[in-house]
Order: sequence, then C-alpha cells, then structure tokens
Amino acid sequence: MIETLTRFGRALRDEGLDSGPGRIADFCRAAALVGPADLYWAGRATLVGGGEEIPVYDEVFRRFFGATPKGEQHRPIRGPVVVETERRRGLASPVELLREKSFSRCSREELAALAKLMNGLTLTIPARRTRRLERARGGRPDLRRTLRRSFRTGGEPLELLRRSRRRRPRRLVLLLDVSGSMDAYSRALVLFAHAALRGHPRWDAFCFGTRLTRVTRALAGSDPDEALRRAAADVVDWDGGTRIGESLKRFLDDHGHGGLARGAVVVICSDGLDVGDPELLAEQMARLARLAYRIVWLNPLQEDPAYEPLARGMHAALPHVDLFLSGHSLASLEEVADALARL
Amino acid sequence: MFRSVEEVEEALRRESYLPDRGLATAIFLALRMGRPLLLEGEAGVGKTEVGKTLSRILGAELVRLQCYEGIDASQALYEWDYARQLLYARALQAGEVGVAERVSELYGPEFLLERPLLRALRAGAGAVLLIDELDRADDEFEAFLLEVLADFQVTIPEIGTISAAEPPAVVITSNRTRELHDALKRRCLYHWIEFPDLEREVAIIRLRAPGASEPLARSVAETIARLRELDLVKPPGAAEAIDWAQALSHLGAESADGQAGRETLGWAVKNREDLRRVEAALGD
Repeated sequence: MIETLTRFGRALRDEGLDSGPGRIADFCRAAALVGPADLYWAGRATLVGGGEEIPVYDEVFRRFFGATPKGEQHRPIRGPVVVETERRRGLASPVELLREKSFSRCSREELAALAKLMNGLTLTIPARRTRRLERARGGRPDLRRTLRRSFRTGGEPLELLRRSRRRRPRRLVLLLDVSGSMDAYSRALVLFAHAALRGHPRWDAFCFGTRLTRVTRALAGSDPDEALRRAAADVVDWDGGTRIGESLKRFLDDHGHGGLARGAVVVICSDGLDVGDPELLAEQMARLARLAYRIVWLNPLQEDPAYEPLARGMHAALPHVDLFLSGHSLASLEEVADALARL
Repeated sequence: MFRSVEEVEEALRRESYLPDRGLATAIFLALRMGRPLLLEGEAGVGKTEVGKTLSRILGAELVRLQCYEGIDASQALYEWDYARQLLYARALQAGEVGVAERVSELYGPEFLLERPLLRALRAGAGAVLLIDELDRADDEFEAFLLEVLADFQVTIPEIGTISAAEPPAVVITSNRTRELHDALKRRCLYHWIEFPDLEREVAIIRLRAPGASEPLARSVAETIARLRELDLVKPPGAAEAIDWAQALSHLGAESADGQAGRETLGWAVKNREDLRRVEAALGD
C-alpha cells in the first residue's frame, strides 16, 4: 500500500506539485488515520498546497484510484484583485528628435547614440517598508531604548528616542521579448535593460522568445555594445517565435517562485503577440501577480495611438497588469522611469 | 481526542457548523497529527468560523492573531510594558522600593505584556490559535511565524524559554492576496474551502437564520448560487446568504425573487459594479 501511495505522491511531483518525501510521509500517516474511504481527502490535506493545484490532484488521483468522491464542485480560482490598470499615452513634447524617435525607425548609429543617453536614465522604485523598526529621528517613541538610556542618568529619561519602519530596496526584474515580432525594438530594449541594471546588483534581466535566458550576467559591464553582443550570443532564440505563457512559467518555476519575483517590480517588455495558449498565459500572470509587488507591461505597439490590446495573449495578460505603458522611444522610457518611481 | 472523521463532523454540526467531508477530514488529521491547518478559499466561505467553532468543540480558549501589513513580533508575541518599567525605575531611584527588589526586576514577568502567540504557547493544548489572514502580513513575519510553529517555543532573553507542553491547535487562514511560502505550506495541512452546494447552503441558512422558512432559505440559496455564476468581483459567501435570508424573513418575504429581494439585494452583493451586473442579469 505504502508503495502505491508513494508512487502517487511522486506522480504528483512530476505534475509540478510540491510533494517531497516529507509530504508523502505525512500523506501515508494521514491515509492510515482516516481509512480508505477518505483517501482522497487525506491526500488533499497533505499533498495539495493551493487551490489551483486541485484539478491536477484530481486528475492524478483518478488515474491511480479511479473516481474522486462526489463533493462540492471545484470552481476555477480567480486571481487576486489587482490595482486598476492605468493607461497613459506619450505626451508629445518638441524636445530632441532622437528622444522622441521610435526605436523601430532608428538606425544602428542612432541606437548607439541612444545607448549613451540611456545611461543617464536611472530607475528608482519605491523601497519596501519592512515590518522591522529601526532607530530614526522621527516616528513613534522607542520606549525600549529610552528606558535603557535612562539607566545612564539614574533612571531619569532625559531623551525620548524614536524609531520607524525600516526601508529595504525592492528588486526589479525585466523580462524582455526578443522574438521576431519585437525585432524592431528588442535591441533598444536590451540596451535599456543594460542601463537599468547598472548600479543595482540584485536586479535581474531575462530574455525570452520560445525559451527563457537569464542575461543579467551578459549585461554586466559598462560597455553597452559589448553587453548587447554577449546577450545576443547567449540568447539562442533571438528573432524566433513567442511563447510568453511558457516562458513566464519557466521564469516562475525556476526563479520567480524561489524568491526573485517575490515583492519585486516585474517589467515585461513585449508586444503580446503570442503563439502559445492564452489560457496558460493568464494563469501564469495570475501566479506572477500574487508574487510580485507590481507588474508593468511595456508594449511598444502602443506608439500607435490607435493600438488596442486585442491580441489574444495581450488580452489574457492585461487584467493582471498594474501599469501598461509603451516604451517605444527614449522619451517613452523616461516616462516609464517616472511611473516606476511613483508605483 | 476524536477517533474518526465522523466524530469531527458530528461535533462541528452540534456547534452549528456544517462542514463538507474534506474539511472534516482535514480538521481530524490536523488534530491527530498535531499540525497547523491552513485554510484558503474565497471570502465568506467560513474560514475564520472554523477556528472559532473548533475552540468551542475542544472547550479551549480561542486566541486570535489578526494579521495586517507590518505586524511584527512585538505585536504578535510579547512586548515589555515600558511605561510601567519607567515608573518603576523612578520609584527605585526615589527609594520607594525595598532593597531586595533590584533593577533586574525591571524585566520580571509582571512587566511582560503577553500577545496572542505567547498566550497560545502558555495555554498549550488549552487554546486554539487562530492566525487570521496571514497573507496580509509580510514575508518576514511569515518566516518568524514558521519558526514559532516549528517547535512551539520562544526565547525571551530576559526571562528564558517558554514552550508549550502540548502544542495548541492552530488554524491559519489566507485570502490568497499573496502566495504563502512553500516552507510554511509544507508545515501545514491544507484545505481549500469551496462554496457549499445547494443542499448544504439551504441547511446552513436554516441553521443560522432560524427565522427563515424552508422555501425562503431554498430560494435564497438558489439565487446566491446563480449570483456566483456571474463572475462577480466579490461573489456572495455563506455569510451573505445568511444575512440576506435574515433580512428577507424580517420583511416577511417568501422568496428572494420578488420585490423584497430586489430591495435587499445589497445584503448579498456589496460592490457597485456587481450590483449593476446582477440587476441586468436578474432582469431577464
């Protein structure tokens, strides 16, 4: 029996559930406690760690033990409520031509000039207020330290010390679509990533098309040309097709869930033209939304004022996006930088 | 201690909580295996109620830790009563306290303010610890909580280690506004509470809103079930169903579809966009 239960647990793990040896042992104990009639529920309580895992569990359970008990129908899980999506258009301002020029119409030389300008672009995102309090000039009274300090003066509290919430920098993660349809923008966006990452050792950048490549390492170093060359060498699917949902899943499975995306600002640069399954994309976006602090989506197609997010992929992702901007030119990226600082 | 899932079902029912088989099994296992029970599900399916009911069944004290953003150990575990310590220090200085009582007493148990976690640890098996809406607290707090839940003991430097001889029953609820850490999930037994099916909903309404007749309860349950199909921002939970039935019975209504139902819709649907959507859908 134990052998069957263990194989069942392993099968769930193959399907992506977090059923390690500890959990399988729990499952065996639970199964022994409740008896065969409630085997289904014993497994639900010990092997499942989230509502979205229930359909997978049900399917594997049926494969191993036949029917699942008739009970309340499991309804699909809805994602958490997201902050209402804000849409803004680039404001036309008659400043330098290059700043306003769409990346898609820039020559190689212009891109090189832009790379220099981008280095002047510094991204800041709001710090995370942690639960810890630290000594500060203002804020609420720190009675613990006030009391300790009063011992120096014979129990007379002469000075009221204060403390306030500690701030910790948040992480920013860039996910860049470098598939064929983004061809006109992807090089400029990689340069943007290069500029963004400078001075932020904990920030990360990934490129994706049909697969996901971490380019944080490649983008290190001060020379943008060099960085672009290294990134292009690492990314094997440059100018290929797009599978946003699968790439996102890969990101979450391999990096995001482990902590990269947790509490982070995640910036996705993509036109949302996806050949993959839009349902998968929606699912993964919901997952990301639960982990990340904010999700920003840069879609350069927005440079066309008539653009509407009708592509299936874009449509599926949009409900989970906190901020939907363009990022098709330097001026637009500056706007992005502004918006990020106010997140 | 319960010997079977049926006994748990029976006990919950006696306390006016109608569980489905899965929930009863999860509670049974959590108690038998000495593990925290993590409950998730849409708002209003009765997650918090499980903790409260459990404390009544076990005859244990309910210790509730309501989580919120920024909660920290001094609000969850313990805090020194600094104001009293200061007064005491002044008294010491003025010679109003005997020689035998020394400064070290400033950190004696009488100056320790007990917060929910410490209270639950001290009460041990005599308490049910309800950690409500854990998803609202931040990552660090979750890590801290995991530590406490791992061995049910804490160390207060000035006093020593306090541990629960027998751990309290622990119920954790989350509304999934954020993903909880895998480590915490691994520590817990898990149950996702579904909206009740029609028959159970009717039974719940009749139990909790005794004024509502059977036909009224059924009509409310049916309407609520339809509302849940509408993909609302906030689908009505069991709590809304009970309130609505109660309101309708006060108005002497016999069903939820009539004029009275329309006028009291706000008991079930509490979001403006949802209301508009529901009104449009119920129109046809």
